[in-house]
Amino acid sequence: MILPFMRKPLARVMQPTVYTNMERVVFQPATYRGMQRGINQLVGAIRPTLGPRPRVVAIDHVDYHDKTPRLLDDGGAIARLIIELPDRDADVGAMFLRDVLWRLQQQVGDGTATAAVLFQAVFQRGVHYIAAGGNARRLQTFLEQGLRDILEQLNAMVTHLSGREELARIAETVCYDPPLADMLGEIFDIVGEFGRVEIRPGRGRELEREYVEGMYWERGAVSRGMLDGDGQLRTDLEESAILISDLRIKHPQQLYPPLALVIRNNIRSLLIVVDEISDSAIGFLLSNKHPERLRVVAVKTPGHDKEQKAWALEDLAVLTGGRAFVHAAGDTFERIRPEDLGFARRAWADRYNFGIIGGKGNARQLRQHIATLRTAFERTDNPNTRNLLRERIGKLLGGSATLWVGGMTQREIDERVERAKRAATALRGALREGVLPGGGVALWSCRPGLEARARAATDPDERAAYHILAEAMAAPIRTIIANAGFDPSETLAELKRYGPGYGFDVMRERVMPIAEAGIYDPAIVTKSVAYVAITSAAQALTIDVMVHHAQPEQAPLPDLSAPKQL
Amino acid sequence: MIDKPSITEIVHALTASPDFARDGICFAARTSGLYRSDDGGHTWQLTHNPSGSERPLPTSAVVLSPHFAVDRTVFAGVPGAVMYSEDAGQTWHTVVLSSPPPFVSVLAISPHYAEDGCVFAGTVEDGVFRSGDRGAHWAAWNFGLLDLNVLSLAVSPDYARDQTLFVATDSGIFRSTTGGRAWREVDAGPEGMRSTDFAPVLSLAISPQYAVDGTLFAGSEALGLYRSSDRGRTWQRLGGDALSGPINGIVLDPQYPARPRILVLLHAVLVVSEDDGATWNEWHPDLPDDRALTCVAAPLGLENGAPLLVGTTGGEVLIVQERLFKE
Repeated sequence: MILPFMRKPLARVMQPTVYTNMERVVFQPATYRGMQRGINQLVGAIRPTLGPRPRVVAIDHVDYHDKTPRLLDDGGAIARLIIELPDRDADVGAMFLRDVLWRLQQQVGDGTATAAVLFQAVFQRGVHYIAAGGNARRLQTFLEQGLRDILEQLNAMVTHLSGREELARIAETVCYDPPLADMLGEIFDIVGEFGRVEIRPGRGRELEREYVEGMYWERGAVSRGMLDGDGQLRTDLEESAILISDLRIKHPQQLYPPLALVIRNNIRSLLIVVDEISDSAIGFLLSNKHPERLRVVAVKTPGHDKEQKAWALEDLAVLTGGRAFVHAAGDTFERIRPEDLGFARRAWADRYNFGIIGGKGNARQLRQHIATLRTAFERTDNPNTRNLLRERIGKLLGGSATLWVGGMTQREIDERVERAKRAATALRGALREGVLPGGGVALWSCRPGLEARARAATDPDERAAYHILAEAMAAPIRTIIANAGFDPSETLAELKRYGPGYGFDVMRERVMPIAEAGIYDPAIVTKSVAYVAITSAAQALTIDVMVHHAQPEQAPLPDLSAPKQL
Repeated sequence: MIDKPSITEIVHALTASPDFARDGICFAARTSGLYRSDDGGHTWQLTHNPSGSERPLPTSAVVLSPHFAVDRTVFAGVPGAVMYSEDAGQTWHTVVLSSPPPFVSVLAISPHYAEDGCVFAGTVEDGVFRSGDRGAHWAAWNFGLLDLNVLSLAVSPDYARDQTLFVATDSGIFRSTTGGRAWREVDAGPEGMRSTDFAPVLSLAISPQYAVDGTLFAGSEALGLYRSSDRGRTWQRLGGDALSGPINGIVLDPQYPARPRILVLLHAVLVVSEDDGATWNEWHPDLPDDRALTCVAAPLGLENGAPLLVGTTGGEVLIVQERLFKE
């Protein structure tokens, strides 16, 4: 057996940097050193923001039109705004980590500062071990093995929460804004994990929320002439039939069969959903001289592509008990039957949306349909698919909430909206997967198990991996305590004396039972942080050579406009 | 003893004053209107017609304030509206719920009505309406209520603290822990009534000690009687074949679970258990073949000889004063 200290440092330490006409190739140890410089710079910028007493990072004029520095206390936002370092070796390390943090933020909405600190701790210790002769590939394998142990330990610590107050506490750990957290706690207590929540900039200084009954889609009436002109430009239909399709209506004659059907059946309201409708067909519908006998509103099929349109048709059909007429299947309205129509207690449309309240579809089929969508949601890892499935489920649950976020200035409003969105993402995660002790306690609590595995390991790379992880697991809690102005060593020693179930409450400045202090983090955030930070750091440790292009491409600017729908 | 007043059609709901032993007041919601009795159900009078129209409004639900002796408050469900009276039914206020008019199938009231003023109306096609201001204003709160056909409502006796209520619908049970503002599916199981079966549930009863024992009962249309002792997470079937058929009502002893008496209203039979559902005894009222039992009220609890008010599909209110229990 070759012990690590007996292994000869590899030739990589002797290899020089090679310059060619087109590119610059960097070998070890310059690769690690360069990456470490970049990682340290990025983590150094993010580290002060970790914990409930974050310090602020000023970022020089981000916007060409606004020279005011942007003040941030959010690790994810800081990482997104550091787009290039002048030292190109360091830039590789910084951009590697930035990409990791960016993805984490997109996935779970929080945890970027913790992930940055954890990544740095694993990477630095890993570099030391490899420099002493350890094998990077084997270390990666054992770090990932250790990660599985960590995730198992975290799963054993998960608890589930409910109620407005508990949800508000979780929200506050993300947004550090008590009024906003309280409002989000109320909203998610009502709409639940899948509920539809829109977060919009408000016009005033206050927070406001509105709950909307039923479900709606972002497609308005095809003509203003179909809307009531009493100021709101909205039409409400009672006991309405719903004609569900993605057909293209080019000629008014195509609408004759369904209109004849509803008139024959003494139906007084009809909502027509079609993919396209010609001006002549709209004109024909508007020429109705007897709206008291039949009111008709036409809207376009929801969805931006074929798949989304197919989903919307399926959901509408289940919800209203109707049949979807599908263009791709060659369907037409010619042989329409009464049972093809969907029905709802109420339907409405305005210029931008249409909605349904009290769809008369079979409730059992609707519940089964939602159960199927939930299963698909659980099974997919694709974030876009998950978002789309969550939107579908949210619509079908029968209500939505809108939160208007106010503030003193437009910048404050924008930042508050961003924090609200991150807190909303975290709350969905907390509702779905439960919570873990917060303030770095959950990760820190994994240490004894990892140390035990290190003691039991016979393979030096395995032992080193568990030592690295055990030490790294303390990095987030140490940072939180230090950021709050306390001595991490003293505080951790006190925490050890109290034992499991206790954490350091930074705001109250003392060790307290976690349940009493309400210090929790969404489990999905903590687990994702551990997963992303450890796997990425382990991968980064396997990077041996860097190649710089002569004309470096500028790093892409992230899309700072967050998605509308959470 | 059977009393057959001169009214016809279905008795949808019965309720009695909390002070029934002293005042003998009870109300019957019938297709032909809301009736009140001041003598323990022996004679009935149509209450004042609140709409002012010639014909009385069909009344499908009725509930009294838990502090009726003091506040004299009655709520009644009529087509498209909830009426309320604050003088024991002498004068009425009508609050229209929404358009198109919902059919109110059941009313329930917070046990802490004096403090919170919360009343709930379950409807056939429009889910649950909630009022937080003693019936003056109503709003539909159906977040997560995937079946809007509400058949029964049960409010936790500890509502002020846990904000919990349950609704039974045509496709199963939903629970709210937000005071009726949002609903979640109750995963009923493990046998027969699991949520994937989405079986209709007609009646609910919640333990007076729900805060401690977390117990509630659900009577299904075709799958029998179920009990959950963990706030609806898991369910056990009770009674087996003795309780086959639609269960239209469940009454628990006010001292449940200390005295574990249960009364179940089957199609045309009263079935009782005094050992928490382990064994059951039937009592068959003297009913014509075309009649079924629709609702039941036990104003003085499940005592032997204490009156039970039982409504029928023929519009009669039966006063049952039998010795239904062995002890």
